[in-house]
Amino acid sequence: MQLLVNALIAGSLAALLSAGLSLVYGVLGVFNLALGQFALTGGYVTWWLHVSIGLPLPVSILGGVIVAAIVTWIAFEVSVAPFYRRHVFLPLVTTIAFSMILDALILLLFQERPYSIIAVKHSLHFAGVYISVEQIFLIAFTIVFLCAVAWVLHSTSLGRKIRATVQHSDAARSLGISSALLHRSVFIASGILAALGGIYLGIDQNLTPQLGFPLTIKAYAALIAGGKDNFWGTIVCAYLIALLEQLAIGLPWWGGDYIAAGFQSVVALLFIIVVLLLKPRGLFSGLRRAI
Amino acid sequence: MSILAVTHLSLTLQDQHILKNISLSVEEGDVVGLIGPNGSGKTTLFNVLSGFLVPTHGSVHFRGQDITGFSPSKRAHMGIGRVFQNFGIFREMTLEENVLVALEALPAEQRKALGNLKEVVQGTLEMVGLSGHAKKKAGSLSGGQMRLLEIARTLKSGKELFLLDEPTAGVAPKMTHQVGDLISELKRDRKTVLIIEHDLPFISRVCDRVIVLNVGEVVLDGKPSEVKQHRKLQEIYFGADPTS
Repeated sequence: MQLLVNALIAGSLAALLSAGLSLVYGVLGVFNLALGQFALTGGYVTWWLHVSIGLPLPVSILGGVIVAAIVTWIAFEVSVAPFYRRHVFLPLVTTIAFSMILDALILLLFQERPYSIIAVKHSLHFAGVYISVEQIFLIAFTIVFLCAVAWVLHSTSLGRKIRATVQHSDAARSLGISSALLHRSVFIASGILAALGGIYLGIDQNLTPQLGFPLTIKAYAALIAGGKDNFWGTIVCAYLIALLEQLAIGLPWWGGDYIAAGFQSVVALLFIIVVLLLKPRGLFSGLRRAI
Repeated sequence: MSILAVTHLSLTLQDQHILKNISLSVEEGDVVGLIGPNGSGKTTLFNVLSGFLVPTHGSVHFRGQDITGFSPSKRAHMGIGRVFQNFGIFREMTLEENVLVALEALPAEQRKALGNLKEVVQGTLEMVGLSGHAKKKAGSLSGGQMRLLEIARTLKSGKELFLLDEPTAGVAPKMTHQVGDLISELKRDRKTVLIIEHDLPFISRVCDRVIVLNVGEVVLDGKPSEVKQHRKLQEIYFGADPTS
């Protein structure tokens, strides 16, 4: 039961990160490798506003999200917009460059010390499971937020335009859906989702500058495993990978020995390899696009 | 004034001359067929007209305005609609949503002028006999139904110039007539239509004029009855007669 709860906690973080990634891939067809750094930007700015400046947490979160959205917008204009129409793989390189700049800036501004947005958690213990009030809130928030994303996608004009673009980009453009505006909006939305992921991480655990790339990899594992343009497949795989990680390090193997927690991130990579070998287009590729 | 004027249009992609010095004009209300063998540049020409490709040389004017560098969405807002060979419908969206998203993509003024969008959606589906399928996903329709939906959606979103890329491709023979009837309705409404098609009897039935492309050049331009009898057309499709 504890493993399931842990998987729910870790999966919610991965779901926030990979949801934006899936939208960006579906609409723009590009890979963004600066996602983890957008998450850290949101997390660190929230920490700075809340802990250093002393602003209330909701205001700090709003500040973190706004700054991350601006950074994501700059990233789009500098490292995506000039390149992706020439070749969709170019942003793969340019966003890596942008992520390295952000990594350096984060290191310069916040050093290597781990920071937590909420230092003291309010722990609960019931039915043999340990969980903090903050974690319950984070899981609930993620589920509500993803439901809100679903509502936007399926019940609003913007959502219909996004889905139309994902399903037939040329037809959407020839109906008058402006790809320039839509692409910017979706890219910035992915940065906001990532920032929320970073804030989630900063509340639940600690923020360190080295986390950017591992966060990106985890989100990509869910994206690739779920089917690159399958939004809901990606979300399901985010939770699935988190569950496999918890099972890998939480259960005894080989005569009672446990796998060291440091190997947790290997699970996501192994999972991608296995999925690519068995179903190269993703686990949910048999289903039509679920966006 | 012509609704569409193409002047000295050329397109070179990766050292291949795909379109060579094409000039043509289309009058408002005309239904023009564009034929030619595979690789003659028909769809490429449509891609240039709808803004997906920028020509290397030459210009495209719509209602007298130079639109050569305009994006596909800007051209759509001006009144140019495209129907795709591979069905430009959104298969995972319902029929209602397919029409609604086209109306929502219109500039605000045009959208407001339509009034209640849900009624327009209903009317559009009724026009092509698909109102009973409104809540179904578009991917569940037959090829012919998809084509009717796509053309009706383009019509109701206020387009003036229709670029139809093989509208009978993937359509059952009995529904080809329905597609032809819908194109005739467009003509009655003084819409201008350019059709790429391999089905010559269909072209003869619905078009006022036929343009023949071969290896990126316009080689024939005239009434369907004239073009059909022309020696050049036979040569393009069947090769030159060695005895002639």
